[in-house]
Amino acid sequence: MSHVIYSDAVLSPCSRRCRRFAVWSVAITTLLGGGVARATLADDPTAKGSELEKQFQNAVLPFLNVYCLDCHGNDDPAAKLDLSGYTSAEKVAKEHQTWAIVLDRLRTGEMPPKDSEPQPTLQQRESVIRWINAARDFEAARNAGDPGPVLARRLSNSEYNFSIRDLTGVDIQPTKTFPVDPANEAGFDNSGESLAMSPALLKKYLEAAREVAEHLVLRPDGIAFAPHSVVTDTDRDKYCVKRIVAFYEKQPSDLADYFFAAWRHQQRLNQVDGNTAAGDATLVAVASENRVSAKYLATVWDLLIDEAPERTVGPVATLQTMWRTLSGDAASVDDARKSCAVMRDFVVELRNKLRPSFPNITVEGSHVGSQTFVLWKNRQYVEHRRKLDVAKLQIEGVADEPDEKSDPKKNGEKKDEEKKDDALPFDEDLLVPADEAERARHAAAFERFCSVFPDAFFISERGRDYVKNEQKQMGEKGRLLSAGFHSMMGYFRDDGPLYDMILDEAGQRELDGLWQELDFVTSAPMRQYEGFLWFERTDSRYMRDPQFDFARPEDKAALSEEMIEKLADVYLEKAALNGGGEVELEAIRHYFREINRQIRWVEQARVDAEASHLDAIIEFAGRAFRRRLSTTEREELVAFYRALRIDDGLSHEEAIQDTLVSVLMSPLFCYRVDLLEIGSGRRSLTDDELACRLSYFLWSSTPDAELMKLAAAGTLRQREVLSAQVQRMLQDDRVRGLATEFVGNWLDFRRFEEHNSVDRNRFPEFTDSLRQAMFEEPVRFFMDVAQQDRSVLQFLDGRHTFVNAELARHYGIPVSQQVGIPRTTIATSAEGDVGQADPRIWIRIDDASEYGRGGLLPMSVFLTKNAPGLRTSPVKRGYWVVRRLLGERIPPPPPNVPELPEDESKLGDLTLREALAKHRENVACAGCHERIDSIGLAFEGFGPVGERRDLDLGGRPIDANAVFPGGTAGQGVEDLRKYLMTHRREEFVDNLIRKLVSYALGRSLILPDELLIRDLHEKLKTDNYRFGSLVENIVTSTQFFNKRGSNYLARE
Amino acid sequence: MALPWLESIPVWGFEPSVESEASPFPKRFGVLFMACGIHPDHWWAKGTGSGMELGRSLTPLEPLKEKVNVISGLFNKNSTGVGIHPGQTGNILSGASLQKGAELRGGISVDQVLANHLGQETAQPSMVLGCEQPITGYHETNFSMAYSSHISWQNATSPVPMEVYPSLAFDSLFDNRGSRRNKSVLDRVKGHAASLSRQASAGDRSKIDEYLTSVREVEKRIDRLRADQDKALDRAKNRGESVVKMARPDNGLPEDIRDHMRLMCDIIALAFQTDKTRIATLLLCRDISGLFYPFLDVRNAHHSASHHERTDEWERISQYYCSQLAYLASRLDAMPEGDSTVLDNSCLVFVNNMWSGSRHDSTKVPLVTAGCLGGTLKTGRTLDYLKAGDDNRKLCSFYLSIMNRMGLAANQFGDANTPLANL
Repeated sequence: MSHVIYSDAVLSPCSRRCRRFAVWSVAITTLLGGGVARATLADDPTAKGSELEKQFQNAVLPFLNVYCLDCHGNDDPAAKLDLSGYTSAEKVAKEHQTWAIVLDRLRTGEMPPKDSEPQPTLQQRESVIRWINAARDFEAARNAGDPGPVLARRLSNSEYNFSIRDLTGVDIQPTKTFPVDPANEAGFDNSGESLAMSPALLKKYLEAAREVAEHLVLRPDGIAFAPHSVVTDTDRDKYCVKRIVAFYEKQPSDLADYFFAAWRHQQRLNQVDGNTAAGDATLVAVASENRVSAKYLATVWDLLIDEAPERTVGPVATLQTMWRTLSGDAASVDDARKSCAVMRDFVVELRNKLRPSFPNITVEGSHVGSQTFVLWKNRQYVEHRRKLDVAKLQIEGVADEPDEKSDPKKNGEKKDEEKKDDALPFDEDLLVPADEAERARHAAAFERFCSVFPDAFFISERGRDYVKNEQKQMGEKGRLLSAGFHSMMGYFRDDGPLYDMILDEAGQRELDGLWQELDFVTSAPMRQYEGFLWFERTDSRYMRDPQFDFARPEDKAALSEEMIEKLADVYLEKAALNGGGEVELEAIRHYFREINRQIRWVEQARVDAEASHLDAIIEFAGRAFRRRLSTTEREELVAFYRALRIDDGLSHEEAIQDTLVSVLMSPLFCYRVDLLEIGSGRRSLTDDELACRLSYFLWSSTPDAELMKLAAAGTLRQREVLSAQVQRMLQDDRVRGLATEFVGNWLDFRRFEEHNSVDRNRFPEFTDSLRQAMFEEPVRFFMDVAQQDRSVLQFLDGRHTFVNAELARHYGIPVSQQVGIPRTTIATSAEGDVGQADPRIWIRIDDASEYGRGGLLPMSVFLTKNAPGLRTSPVKRGYWVVRRLLGERIPPPPPNVPELPEDESKLGDLTLREALAKHRENVACAGCHERIDSIGLAFEGFGPVGERRDLDLGGRPIDANAVFPGGTAGQGVEDLRKYLMTHRREEFVDNLIRKLVSYALGRSLILPDELLIRDLHEKLKTDNYRFGSLVENIVTSTQFFNKRGSNYLARE
Repeated sequence: MALPWLESIPVWGFEPSVESEASPFPKRFGVLFMACGIHPDHWWAKGTGSGMELGRSLTPLEPLKEKVNVISGLFNKNSTGVGIHPGQTGNILSGASLQKGAELRGGISVDQVLANHLGQETAQPSMVLGCEQPITGYHETNFSMAYSSHISWQNATSPVPMEVYPSLAFDSLFDNRGSRRNKSVLDRVKGHAASLSRQASAGDRSKIDEYLTSVREVEKRIDRLRADQDKALDRAKNRGESVVKMARPDNGLPEDIRDHMRLMCDIIALAFQTDKTRIATLLLCRDISGLFYPFLDVRNAHHSASHHERTDEWERISQYYCSQLAYLASRLDAMPEGDSTVLDNSCLVFVNNMWSGSRHDSTKVPLVTAGCLGGTLKTGRTLDYLKAGDDNRKLCSFYLSIMNRMGLAANQFGDANTPLANL
């Protein structure tokens, strides 16, 4: 041969030839004589077995010797297939999978190779085929319905992560640094065949469990898990503060929304009057429809519709005028929204002008930013959130003069300073009549206005309020919930109006709980007080005198009630001496009283909560072990906790953590003990076992509360309950576990998120985010099939697909609007556009065929994965289709085939197509490559990262013509799809069923499964190929529904 | 989080450790941190080796002159121009840019990088100690005070919890709490596995036994590790030159800061000598410290005193802190290790977040090293990088040099891509 033979290291030539024993062929023909028809076998299994054995010895064995063993003997067997050991029918039965390959090769006529001598006659060939079929049927029938050997095994890395996610509610992914799990023969990492344990791995399990325990939060009434570790004070602060701020932010506190809801309500009332009632015309109903608080809507509504003339003056009148204009007009929704925003802005602006201001108080020697006095000022704000500062009002005629009627409540000695602040310019909005009675009426309206519209519903950020310089304060925002002390930590709750006016009782309870949790989890009062002790003798010089020396922040005893009271006395004594007035002294008394109360509360709450933490861990253990715990097991957990505290001297928190670690380390959690072959013979699964098997099949995760509940009630096994659960589970988003673990491994893209063989210099568009999007596409596609119960044929012939902005751009699909970016054609738009789109927004493209996409075949993840960098690989792409999609078994290539160049621009004069054609001229290569290459060539219109292209990287025009196996000619993916749908459809379906059954059962297939596969295939056809029906039929199959007991013996 | 006890440790002095071919002894790295600057007029050194002249504040180092380097002119670019105090402190060992406002964000510190790489060799990956409790309020610059309280950071968002109680720091060395806790857990789950194994079929039993064997193997490793440590301890004792006699400190915090600092230094010395850890940081005081020093006849607390940096009071404080380095270094130097001492196989770094406390100047920071890190660091020198240009005087370059010499092949740390020249 003068040319180089190329291969993509997939296929093998059959180089050696059979020459010997030609004489035997006649004899074999005679012996077999076509006489092994299934019908001739007696019904008696024993007789059947011996008949098969006889036929094997007489016909099959000689056939092997003559036509096969020359190449497939035990001396360096071709394609690593050694057939020499099969000396009895029983041995064949044991390795039926190998014999399925033999069967396949004989059927396609590929073996013995066409150019070898001697060749069996057609009759001989068919006789052996019949024998293999008969033997398989015989074996399958003998053990029909055998659940098969399913080993109890550890959770796979993914199952561990998903289980932790569903148990804790946070996605910690503790196994992300574990070594990759090995796969079994079927290609899945969910079976005992491949999942092993080792000391090194066990250490990692221990680290993983410890990592989860670092996320454990002990709350006043139980446990929770934080999305980040909560070991240090700063972590704990972050966790609790974020929860409170998130709570605030989700409350409806935008006034415009209330005005809008009121407008809706008014409209509905108008309709009711006109007898065209639409919807429930109550404030409660309107509030719920518009997602605002019913309680506060009623307050606002009352103000808006109040008609009493003595009350409707001043700002109330102004607002009502705006309201009447709005509610009178038959405004469009958009206009109404705008008008409501204007009303809101009016209220907010006026309310800001009425905001009271308070002086800083202090005593000689103290610091203006000290806790005692900052808290006093914070409390003033709290108390006045809904109150009018009369001093802000301006009297007609005297408005431009300094107001003498300042709030008498204010501190006398601070008045001068305050006056300067209050000397605001003339403001019409704040005018009240000079007439005293009129003025009182107006002031009352202002008061009501202030009461209905607080100056703030809540304060979630606070800087240092005592600092005069406004600029400085502006820069200090972002101290969430901070009390605003100088340098010291401390939180301050200021949400009275939200609490009183907006929240219902449940909301109030939740918010109270969150604030208690903050103190409880972060030790905020203790730390605040320690900060006080430090600050008062450093930045503040107040406590530098020797009488304060006893109170040291380092000394835990300083937190005791006795010491706090002792310090309070000394502190007050100095304050009195230094000229502190009653306000200052009371602020100090209040401070020590409150901090002591808070510290005591935390201490007591912690003691009180211990039992609830232990209960919560026991509850957690039940969920982690995926079944109800026995009384003994509960007692053992408690005993373990006690031993940790008493014998090992651990603190409560440590003991709870370690109890949690012991739960996660127990084989009852990290192993699938539901699979244990316990019991005798063959038996159906218990309900608990069934729940586990279902959830690890469909979610790769632990059963949820509903499954556990049904299992506990013993009803899960009922056909209609089971069927409803399967439907529910398929629709649940956790079915993503099936998408990544089953489809990802089946179609070989599970690890694509780490795919690094793309030359990013040549393909700068291949970013990490595009790679992520490529991975996501088949996941979304599959989830759609599962959740919408679509036909599995859509994988092949679907014209739709799913894209996010970046993938759409890669595909040249204009979707800018739908993914939230400006309307420009993505294909031609600047880089920036896509950057702004949210990569989490995915949309369905109903017909992607005009962009060359739709279905699995042209997805860039597969095209990229099966391209070696700087060229495409028709061989790999074709192999992926026949091997992964169709399940065709193709032997491995010989070791000595030269590789194609890495870069298609370096192929010289040949196109890739021509180079492959050369390769197929070698008859040894052709056998396999003819089944692959043409299918791969249909993808040539897509480059190495799955991009559409007209020229290859060497500048040569693309030719995507192909003659598919069997002789159908076609061009491109469209014709490939037709070919597959017409000629290979049932192969695809058969393969999908085999893979899914193997995945569902967590083991390789055994012969008895053949009957199930056939049955499932028939049913699937009848059910229009709906995925849901396939899953349901698998779940209710004997294999899935049963298990072997410890003494189960398969008939051999 | 790495578990400290799982790999067997080489017993120092008897088995060569992998990363140091030159010396059979492990290399240790320790940091002593002082805040708010030093007395600028008395913190200097001239000359080399035994002829080195020391400024008044550095006189405690007199007996150790040949084993120290006085290094001037280094700095962290990210702690300049960002406002005073916390922004100058939280990145002292990381060089990271710190984030203001509600969320903490900085970078992993050099000691934790070292601990991640070398910590598996020892009972504890690192010790993070302090003589003053951390605080977490907000400074007027809107940086969290957490930055002022922590120099060791395990990642960008979390400081390493700091131990301020000498008694607990001591326990952490000798009780092996971590491994004991793991043993209790393993002991319990072993029971679960054994009972499952009894019920299981032959096939299942092989899977469960795989688990049981793994548990037993890990337990054995814990025992072996503890035995090795005890042996190491015995050997240290037998040399008669041990601080192992140190009694467990009392519960609670020492009343006198002098006792507190001395105990913490003793614990580090002990940990280094017995190879319980090779990495330690000790926050002698935090930034904006409230420590006070009646024994130095200073009535102002640390931070206030630092605002009068040219006073005798502040000089006494500066010298007192320097004496802590001298104390720890001489403890280590009194511990023979082969022909050398533990100090010779260590690098202690004394560093401050500022040069001048009154001006809050961090454009150069005081830095003194002690020990020649197993012969990889020449000592007895005075080095000044101030005029080398900002790119050539990075603290992170210094840290990178240390990392390289301790066997980490890193070529980047913090804001530095090159080691420090001429170190």
